[in-house]
Amino acid sequence: MGMKLRALLKSPWVFHLSTGSCNNCDIEVLDCLTPRFDIERFGILLAGSIKHADVLLITGSCNRQSAERLKRLYEQVPKPCLVVAIGECAMSRGMFIESYNCPLPLDHIIPVDAYIPGCPPKPEAIIAGAVKLIEKVGAAT
Amino acid sequence: MYAYPLYFVLFGLVLTAVLGLLASWLDRKVTARVQYRVGPPVLQPAIDIVKLLGKETLIPAGAHKPTFLAAPLFSFAGAAAVSTLLWITVAQPSRGFAGDVFVALYLFTLPSLGIILGGFASGNPVASLGASREMKLILAYELPFVIALFVPIILSGYAIRLPELAAYQAAERAFVLHPSGLLAFLVALLCTQAKMGLVPFDVAEAETEITGGPLIEYSGPGLAVYRLSKNMLFIALPLFLVLMFLGGIPLSASGIAYGVLKLVLVIALLTLIRNTNPRIRIDQAMCFFWVPVTGVALAAVVFAMFGW
Amino acid sequence: MTREQALQEIRARFDGVILSMFDKSPSRVYIEIKPEALVPAANYIFWELGARFNIATGVDTRTHIEILYHFIIEEINLLVSLRVKLDRDRPVIDSLTPSFEAANWVEREIHELLGVEFKNHPDMRRLLLPENWPEGVYPLRRDYQEWDKQAVRDRGV
Repeated sequence: MGMKLRALLKSPWVFHLSTGSCNNCDIEVLDCLTPRFDIERFGILLAGSIKHADVLLITGSCNRQSAERLKRLYEQVPKPCLVVAIGECAMSRGMFIESYNCPLPLDHIIPVDAYIPGCPPKPEAIIAGAVKLIEKVGAAT
Repeated sequence: MYAYPLYFVLFGLVLTAVLGLLASWLDRKVTARVQYRVGPPVLQPAIDIVKLLGKETLIPAGAHKPTFLAAPLFSFAGAAAVSTLLWITVAQPSRGFAGDVFVALYLFTLPSLGIILGGFASGNPVASLGASREMKLILAYELPFVIALFVPIILSGYAIRLPELAAYQAAERAFVLHPSGLLAFLVALLCTQAKMGLVPFDVAEAETEITGGPLIEYSGPGLAVYRLSKNMLFIALPLFLVLMFLGGIPLSASGIAYGVLKLVLVIALLTLIRNTNPRIRIDQAMCFFWVPVTGVALAAVVFAMFGW
Repeated sequence: MTREQALQEIRARFDGVILSMFDKSPSRVYIEIKPEALVPAANYIFWELGARFNIATGVDTRTHIEILYHFIIEEINLLVSLRVKLDRDRPVIDSLTPSFEAANWVEREIHELLGVEFKNHPDMRRLLLPENWPEGVYPLRRDYQEWDKQAVRDRGV
């Protein structure tokens, strides 16, 4: 597992998944992929299909309907895979914590490796979170 | 007799893979520089392939399992076979045989056929859509490509061996310096852009539109083999264009240096076209290849018959 | 026709059923009518005054359930809101879907979230809530209780 994870850290392909967000976090994730922040120098590419993904960037508070789809999608990601929760809604449902439609936070549904706080987090914060995740996983292997 | 497996492994697999990954890196770096950013490091395409080999393979329930697993190897075999053929005609010109131009032409369609097979075997409607677009694109660009390849054959006095074409160009001037050769080279360049699936003709694998097209269900080693065969085409097709139009790679020190420069020139032209154009739709692509490009190719053949 | 003329006509046509008319601003007016007269009033505003049906909103207030139907008369830049007050124990009203199709999904949503019954609605199915949501539980009512035993409502820190 050590060699596989090390190769994965040098070329992580990201897949962006929204489980019912207000789309602000999605816009900030999209900003990260623009030439201004240039994450291709770390080998990060945007994957079109979830079967090509290594890192899932999940935004939005999981509501009841998207929770079942999220479980099905997580089964379709080829392992090893890292999961990053972006924004307050993905971390703990944020202001929707008492909502009738969001019973569980994201990390009770799928295992999460990194949390990036903010509403929405700036692209610099997203990149800092990604770097911390790569360092943490690199130190563990 | 032992030479053939050695040539296959050495030239077809190892040399082409290494040069192909370098060519793919060159393309990504130039694209990044054109967009005012720093690009990926040199080993990035190789790291991509190594990483993909370590992921698990997921086979969809509705897929036809043998075809799904064998299609990437089909693609890879086609790319390796045609690279072996081309490098042998460069390294040992005496081993060329009559009609090897046409064998190379046939072998060049195998990688695209592999993608189509894989797409249809996936059992996914999006993959079928991408595979059918790839089929239409092949119908579109094969016609002007073959017509453009008649021009060097006519200009060299109907020689159909690759080493003879290279020798003719070494003795006289390169075909691209004739007016008909220049037109034919431009047509072949556009068809190469479509054959490799680069923008503006990458409608079959449009990422944002149909999320990966025929390759949507491939993960792990299957995807790694597809990417490797695409990267091998990234060096095999420019090499073919250099051999046919730009004078080949003669086996002297200055010849090899100029040959490398010619290869880099063709790759740079492909990258330049890729970075300055948007993606066009499949019906626009078919119309483009069948009407203007075929017209120019036919005009080039007519000029070649007159000897210009 | 101007704003005053339009309101004058509405007041003249539906004199007996208008309970109050409140001018909130030059471009908004709230008209409260009796529930029985909803369909003739809405038909008049939609078909004859040529208004556009914007949306219908439902609220569970302290004393009753009320539904507001918002119509926009574009030529005079006026938003007319028709308010109907319903009894909380049995909220029943006539459906506007036979008059114009735009009210179809709006009434389905109000039905499943607030529990208002719309008579003569052709296709009352569930619209937004998932399939395993229990029947008869209306989330936007004031007396909604959490029925899901497995819900996690603390932040975990």
